[in-house]
Amino acid sequence: MTARWRGAPRRAASFLTGAAPAGGRLAVGAFLGGMLVFSLAPIYWMLVVSLKGGKTQLMSGNPWWPGGQFTMGNYAQVLADPDFGRLILNTAVVTVATIIISLATSVLAALGLAYYRTRSSNAIALVLFAAYLLPQGVLFIPLAVMLSRLHLYGGMVALIIVYPTLVIPFAAWVFWTYFRRLPAELVDSAQVEGAGPLRVLRDVLLPLAWPAVAAVILFGAAVVFNDYLYTFTLVSDHKNMTLMADVGSDLLDIDDPGPTFAEIMLGLLPVAFICALFADVFGKGLGAGVIE
Amino acid sequence: MGMNALTVQHPSGGRVANPRRRTVAGTLLPVPALLIVAGAIGYPLALALWFSLSNAQVGELGKFVGLANYAYLLRQPTYFDAVRNTLVYMVASIVIKAILGMAVALAIARHFPGRRLVYALLFLPFVFPLTMGTMAWYYLFSNVHGAINYILMQSGLVPNGVDWLGSFGPLPMASLITVNVWHETSLFAVLLLAGLRSIGADIIEAARVEGATGGQRFLHIVLPLLRPALVLGAALSVMGSFGDFAIVHVLTNGGPANHTQTIPHMAFMVALRDGDVGVGGAVAFTVLPAYFLMLAYLLREVVRR
Repeated sequence: MTARWRGAPRRAASFLTGAAPAGGRLAVGAFLGGMLVFSLAPIYWMLVVSLKGGKTQLMSGNPWWPGGQFTMGNYAQVLADPDFGRLILNTAVVTVATIIISLATSVLAALGLAYYRTRSSNAIALVLFAAYLLPQGVLFIPLAVMLSRLHLYGGMVALIIVYPTLVIPFAAWVFWTYFRRLPAELVDSAQVEGAGPLRVLRDVLLPLAWPAVAAVILFGAAVVFNDYLYTFTLVSDHKNMTLMADVGSDLLDIDDPGPTFAEIMLGLLPVAFICALFADVFGKGLGAGVIE
Repeated sequence: MGMNALTVQHPSGGRVANPRRRTVAGTLLPVPALLIVAGAIGYPLALALWFSLSNAQVGELGKFVGLANYAYLLRQPTYFDAVRNTLVYMVASIVIKAILGMAVALAIARHFPGRRLVYALLFLPFVFPLTMGTMAWYYLFSNVHGAINYILMQSGLVPNGVDWLGSFGPLPMASLITVNVWHETSLFAVLLLAGLRSIGADIIEAARVEGATGGQRFLHIVLPLLRPALVLGAALSVMGSFGDFAIVHVLTNGGPANHTQTIPHMAFMVALRDGDVGVGGAVAFTVLPAYFLMLAYLLREVVRR
């Protein structure tokens, strides 16, 4: 038990211990190369379009190379557009608010479920688990109706209310399973010294649970970035849109997609790439809680 | 210290002070999470149930009509198209993602130069906004100067190009599955890699000493131990497919002629485009039996550990 939370007793990352033969390495390299092409092709294609000028960039020329149509004009246009800054700000507000609300509530819930058990703990865990798996497709119609009756329909607040519901159950579950793996003596000795739940959380659990925190932050960002159903059904007012919703509605206009793709490259790709750099941490946070 | 009178036995064996304070803490701590879940999941769920049993339209709550919406659905061939398509879409993409994700996890488990960058670039589709990715795929698949057809036609492989999204046959569904696989393979890879790392070297070594070959070690030792990772990946995928709207809406809009219509997209079309919230709600609700089955299965999986 104690060895687990300290991290790695020697793990075999590969079940084929020892060095791979040269032929195997070549096959692995070719496979990874193929997967890289598959993963990056649509993103690279967007980059090419964002570097093409004129109104017919989707209908003419080489789709994989800007060639004679090359221009940086789309980027200049996006940077000069005052709306771009607002969209970035909207997106940041929605993302950060979602993550903070989700982290705070789920950490508290997990703390209660793991170390302050009551008779209702199991029922609460079950409710969260069930909510975590409830598909979005069931809820978007009544959510649209409910939010319009609360006069929240069409604004950013709607998204800030809705997105945490997609993150909290998952996050509570990750934290709960993560906390359970930590040695109980740590919490017990802090409690014997008189620490209340919030101090236990701050001083004992959170410093050890940062991979779970990181995994939840990434999961929250991915939820906000990947959602289309909710932005599409809940936000109609252009000035409240996130970058994702704005780009989604602009892309239906195929006459001049260059600036829209430049917007994606400037506003979304860097954030997505930074998130992607933490893939390992994401796996670790999930792995410790759920898989091991 | 005089604490003994106030201590109780912690389930994990430690000694803990003041049981009443603990009960209060245990009761209060989950409240914020539960409030949000009740308000933004529980209430809409109840509303969804009501819609599916009523003749509600956009903007009005409607009257109770019993199971009439469900009876109506069962007479619609388009509904059964959507059920079949959803199953095909979900199962095919999960199988492909599990296999590719497994291969990626094994390939990336070993250290090599640039591993971190390769891993990040492979993970990028999972965190890259799905709508945008799907839009790009739409133009890659397009039959009007589409980027894939450009390669096929320039290289002379397929002189007239392929109608990926608009033809009758398996191609539109295959295109949807391709985008789903593009988006989520790395989720499986990350989960499986975490699973692989949790397998002790000693277990593998013991099997090797006993003379198990690489293939045998993989099939009989590694794969069973990766089961929780596979189950979690599949569960996240099923949820994703039941909630998936972007891929279908952007790529094919359910067409041609309903060939790629899925349950969530049909629910959207019926409820919010046609304004028939009652029938749309019923469409969405029919995934719940499958949801309860999955939930029961996963709970058993969790309890067993």
